[in-house]
Amino acid sequence: MADTQARVRQQEQIEELCAASIRALAGDADLHFRGRRLHRRGAPLPLFAPHLHPSLDSDDFDSFRGAADGLALRLAHSDPALHRRLAPADEIERALFDLLEQFRVEALVPAAMPGVRRNLRHRHAAWSLGYHHAGRTDSARGLLVYTVAQVCRARVTGDPIVEETEDLLEATRAALGPLIGSALAHLRRARADQAAYAVHALAIAHAIAELLKADGEDPDADAERLDSDLAAARSVFGLIIEHDGAANERFATAVSGASRLLGDSADGYRVYTTAYDREHAATALVRPDALDAFRERLDRRVAAHGVNIAKLARELRALLAQPRENGWAGGQEEGLIDGRRLAQLVASPAERRLFRRERIEPIPDCALTFLVDCSGSMKQHIEPVAVLLDGFARALDEAGIANEILGFTTGAWNGGRAQRDWIRAGRPAHPGRLNEACHIVFKPAHLGWRRARRGIAALLKNDLFREGIDGEAIDWACARLKAQEAERRLLLVVSDGSPTDSATGLANDPHYLDHHLRMVTERHEAIGSVEIFGVGVGLDLSPYYRRSHVLDLAGTVSNQMFREVLDLLGGRHRR
Amino acid sequence: MTETAALQPDRLLSVRTLFGIDSDLEVPAFGERDEHVPEIDAVYRFNPDVTLAILAGFIRDRRVMVQGLHGTGKSTHIEQVAARLNWPCVRVNLDGHISRLDLVGKDAVVLRDGQQVTEFQEGIVPWALQRPVALVFDEYDAGRPDVMFVIQRVLERDGKFTLMDQNRVLSPHPYFRLFATANTVGLGNTNGLYHGAQRLNHAQIDRWNIVASLNYLPPAEEAAIVLARVPSLAAARGPGDADSRLVDAMVAVAGLTRNGFAAGDLSTLMSPRTVITWAENIEIFRDPALAFRLSFVNKCDEAERPVVAEYFQRCFDRELEESHRRAADAR
Repeated sequence: MADTQARVRQQEQIEELCAASIRALAGDADLHFRGRRLHRRGAPLPLFAPHLHPSLDSDDFDSFRGAADGLALRLAHSDPALHRRLAPADEIERALFDLLEQFRVEALVPAAMPGVRRNLRHRHAAWSLGYHHAGRTDSARGLLVYTVAQVCRARVTGDPIVEETEDLLEATRAALGPLIGSALAHLRRARADQAAYAVHALAIAHAIAELLKADGEDPDADAERLDSDLAAARSVFGLIIEHDGAANERFATAVSGASRLLGDSADGYRVYTTAYDREHAATALVRPDALDAFRERLDRRVAAHGVNIAKLARELRALLAQPRENGWAGGQEEGLIDGRRLAQLVASPAERRLFRRERIEPIPDCALTFLVDCSGSMKQHIEPVAVLLDGFARALDEAGIANEILGFTTGAWNGGRAQRDWIRAGRPAHPGRLNEACHIVFKPAHLGWRRARRGIAALLKNDLFREGIDGEAIDWACARLKAQEAERRLLLVVSDGSPTDSATGLANDPHYLDHHLRMVTERHEAIGSVEIFGVGVGLDLSPYYRRSHVLDLAGTVSNQMFREVLDLLGGRHRR
Repeated sequence: MTETAALQPDRLLSVRTLFGIDSDLEVPAFGERDEHVPEIDAVYRFNPDVTLAILAGFIRDRRVMVQGLHGTGKSTHIEQVAARLNWPCVRVNLDGHISRLDLVGKDAVVLRDGQQVTEFQEGIVPWALQRPVALVFDEYDAGRPDVMFVIQRVLERDGKFTLMDQNRVLSPHPYFRLFATANTVGLGNTNGLYHGAQRLNHAQIDRWNIVASLNYLPPAEEAAIVLARVPSLAAARGPGDADSRLVDAMVAVAGLTRNGFAAGDLSTLMSPRTVITWAENIEIFRDPALAFRLSFVNKCDEAERPVVAEYFQRCFDRELEESHRRAADAR
């Protein structure tokens, strides 16, 4: 476990460094790694070429550097629109064309950056040997692709061919000569001009793709053998072919619909009975010794993760603070006379700084509430969510920002006592919400993190998680926020799904609760006294919240996650 | 001081010959060098656009503000133009504690014939106003906005200056010129780099006739500047091929740090001044990597040093102490 954690951290560090290098080399600030793939402004970029995607298991740091430099050069020197327009339709041809374009940009390293050239060369050699040692050069087609890659790169960049496999190439190379020789001869000269280069690159790609597909020439080859050869050739580019066409949906989007019943009814959202609704302090729901155990578990997670609280607090303060009058600044040349300085006037009459003024300082006059969806499906995500909230609670306390952690669930499954009452009353139509709403206060605003830390740990108690009635919970959280004295009120709803309550859904209509949720968020957004943000746990909440962001909590909590939440608060979120 | 007041520009010089700029402009210049004329820096390289803006200020009496990131040589640029015109030039460094009295003048107790008398002493603004002097307000955006209103009227051409303490109205000398340099364009510290930069009043910003922007130069020009400053570097071979120059790799590192700063990866960046310092330190330490660490890396936040090490590796093909690779190897 500790080992995986360390590896994830290492991957993160490497990606951070590589992304920083790519940003600097390409001169584009909006490039980031997400899920090991480079994204620009939130959209994934094409994979470009197979050697640009090293893996931590088999490749060293220099390979990552080389891949990063390759990506940066690609972004800096290749016009994607032109490339798309020129790209051939056939997938193998296209993959070859992509690879040749990558070689072109790798030949354009500025003279002042010898390190970049070395990294690229290293990466190419590492990739080539990896390919070779994986046995892919054993098949005729695998060797053909390999030879083309080697020969073309050597031609374009002027780097020598990887020594270890030089002999292996000889025969294929000689056979290729008459086919692509003339195009090959032009590659290096045309390397500065993408369009001119493409003419030759296309010719090569076409010729090689024909060779790969030619099946009739070898009468001995049975169909099975051919298939496996083609598969080998394809596997070089498999990465590219698979990913590029596929939709880049990493997260599902929340399913939402309209409720006839709610839309048509004159008196709006109904609640069948509030008799069983409860509001609890989290500490009252869990036995004290269990609470201590939960806290210990959470502390271990937090410690393993190593959140930089001080930095987070600084960033929160920078994000949420507004200039306000705060105390007095002495030693001014004008303003109100500072009585304490009068003695100085006597002693040193030339001194003019006798005045004081009100000091203007950035003060975060702000209240922030986290509202956690405690529906059953959240159970699996709750550990990372708890780490995230715990980190934020500490940082917010340090930044002097009032914060609350609230949760909502139901008191029972399938409607509980509310449904029983309804059945006893003869199942009247349109009963409205039909369950025991349960609102939990994990950390009230008036308690600091230190006093409330055991309450936060109660998030880890699994059996609190039942169903979710989001709309009412948001009303409740907003009411609590409004009771606080603050200039700005922020509500972050952490949820992994649409509102669910089986009893309500059955007795009314399926979208009764999420229609209400949309009505509630729209109402609060229209009033504007509370800003509501949706933090989706692996689910895109944009149908409900105007400002939302999807967090990927599948892995571990990373500093990136805190940054993403900050970006969401700052209105800079990328999706 | 009276000699300065009597000076008049007595010749017209061609901009083309003086600054090597392709322009038919002619600029008035003084025949003799006053004590306030800055020293000529023979190797100074002029940026054509900014030079023209500054010359417009001298020729047509425009108020010129030069804005740019630190270390780009804004103030020096104005000084060097003045130096070549033999135009007296006075630099005033503004800071948060410059007060109205410093600028306008104040009553001071002086000794006269053995008697203590109170006498009005002119501040820098009325002094310069009556002389053919180019007054340069350095770090204009560090001045307190309310104090800067003192010069509001002077900013207008032919704007008279009223000394209220003395009931005197001063008319500016026909060859009085006013310049300012600033890191920001009066919008305050927006990128976290310039603490103490004030948000300026835009009624005042509006009175500056010309705002020239001096940002970082193309690598070739920057390399030429560094070589002009540190000529011994010209012979130094770079880390790349046989014909590569050390200075190109240095300027390339600087370029990467600026991109990194723009992307938010670094909170410090290498100004041309830093590159020159680095070049000078190479003369001392003989080792580019060591000199780099001493002139720039140690100024960076500890968390950002591995990123700087990456930039350095790209351009020098060498590892710095701080690099991730070194740390990984050590583990």
